[in-house]
Amino acid sequence: MRIEDVICPFCGCLCDDLVVEVQGTTVVSVENGCTLAHEKFTGDNRLQAPIKRDGRTWHPVSYDEAIETTAQILLEADRPLLYGWSGTNGEAQSIGVHLAELLGAVIDNTSTVCHGPSIMAIQEVGHPGCTLGQVKNRADVIVYWGANPIEAHPRHMSRYTTYADGFFVKGAFLERKVIVADVRETETSNIADEFMHIEPGGDYAVLSALRAIVRGKADIIPSYVSGVAREQLVRVAEMCMNAKFGAIFFGLGLTMSRGKYKNIRNAVELTEELNRFTKFTISPMRGHWNVYGSNEVFTWISGYPFAVDFARGIAFYNPGETTSIDILRRGECDACLVVASDPGAHFPKQCCRHLAEIPTILIDPHVNVTTHLSHLQIPVAVTGIDSEGTAYRMDGVPIRTRMLYKSRYPSDREILEKIYQIVLKEKGP
Amino acid sequence: MNFVLNTGRTIKQGSYVERKNSDGYRDEASACRMNPVDMMELDLEDGVNIKMSSPAGSVVMKAFSCQSLKRGEVFVSLGPYANHIIDGETHGTGMPDFKTTMVHIESTDEDVVPVSRLMEECGGWPYED
Repeated sequence: MRIEDVICPFCGCLCDDLVVEVQGTTVVSVENGCTLAHEKFTGDNRLQAPIKRDGRTWHPVSYDEAIETTAQILLEADRPLLYGWSGTNGEAQSIGVHLAELLGAVIDNTSTVCHGPSIMAIQEVGHPGCTLGQVKNRADVIVYWGANPIEAHPRHMSRYTTYADGFFVKGAFLERKVIVADVRETETSNIADEFMHIEPGGDYAVLSALRAIVRGKADIIPSYVSGVAREQLVRVAEMCMNAKFGAIFFGLGLTMSRGKYKNIRNAVELTEELNRFTKFTISPMRGHWNVYGSNEVFTWISGYPFAVDFARGIAFYNPGETTSIDILRRGECDACLVVASDPGAHFPKQCCRHLAEIPTILIDPHVNVTTHLSHLQIPVAVTGIDSEGTAYRMDGVPIRTRMLYKSRYPSDREILEKIYQIVLKEKGP
Repeated sequence: MNFVLNTGRTIKQGSYVERKNSDGYRDEASACRMNPVDMMELDLEDGVNIKMSSPAGSVVMKAFSCQSLKRGEVFVSLGPYANHIIDGETHGTGMPDFKTTMVHIESTDEDVVPVSRLMEECGGWPYED
């Protein structure tokens, strides 16, 4: 069976033009997708059934037993942590937040080690963003800052920026200027019109220098700012000021390096300065396909986008205190439910050690690094392949992912709903 | 020698994201890209094993030459190998220093361990699928 207009559940681009050939319960070919999409759809490395660890022995258990065990562990915990959520759909995320509220738990999503600092900056100074459609049709200057889309979002440039012809940009490849700012040469920087090679940790200073130039203070800029020559900074600032419509896309090169959320604040304020001359927007390059959705769902229910602590009976948010890394590093939580993510691969060793010490339950279709730290894993269907649900693209546009064939696995939503009902029965409404 | 460790996505790491127990994922996540002059100073051939250390711990990786990196900087794809030596301190932001950790690199005869073994060192127990 050939299915058109399939949504790719890998990165925040949520490409919606894939053509997928399915035979039974196997995807045999993927057209229009990048390497990442191809691997996602054709991968067959599913965990076959729930597994439980007793000491040094793993053995299969039934779904009913796995669900009951999970509910009891969460009910017995004093400070449970519910982490992940970016690799599942909005419907499952919604149950997760309600479960956290019922338990008085902390619920956090992968933004915490991704664009959490971007959200903190946006809470300080706002987000002058726009949809990717606006960028495609209008932008003649594109800035990638601390981002390498060729490796992380392989179709971003061909669908929305460098190579994408738009309504007001007919010959994108010739008409659009691309500026890249990064601490290392990448495939993306190799095709830039201007590449600002910044010293590690120097982003804040370079952003400040550009702001000064835009405000007419080029004469106070030293010869080099964090490795970037003044002449290049002036050239880049003028290129931005002379744009008809400019768009900055930034990645984890800003959120994870020295300065963290202050880097993003500075970048947003540069965008604000540029809007005194022309139209300029700024947007984060979101990683997981539905990490933006986890921020949306958490916010509309609790008021906060990540790191939400319900221990007080109300929603409390304080990054640095209620964020997963800090809670695990301090050894604070006494049980952890991981849904659709892999902290074993992406958290520092200190955090992994604590995950191994406490009862950790993983709800995920695949064996991943966290499996080895867990005490129980429940395999589920993959949203966008054998399950459906709503996701948010990196620009905040909600898109309904599709089910390509009927799964033999339950969905995350079904598993979480059953856990929720057991907890609700114990805790009461 | 001391270096600034930078981590990030590579398309090869991304393509193995749902096969993290595979040799391919191990090879990519434990590949340390280095400036060739730095490798020469450390007397490292392409593909030899190195021990990378920080105050948070140490881990064995393989060194590979990368012309596009400046001297004093190394790059490892995001994953459990890099995270084995990145500290959990977040400076009140929730975000560890994934991009700017100071590390020490030396040659070693020790082997690169599988991902499951890394987690065993953290107190977990390998699941063989």
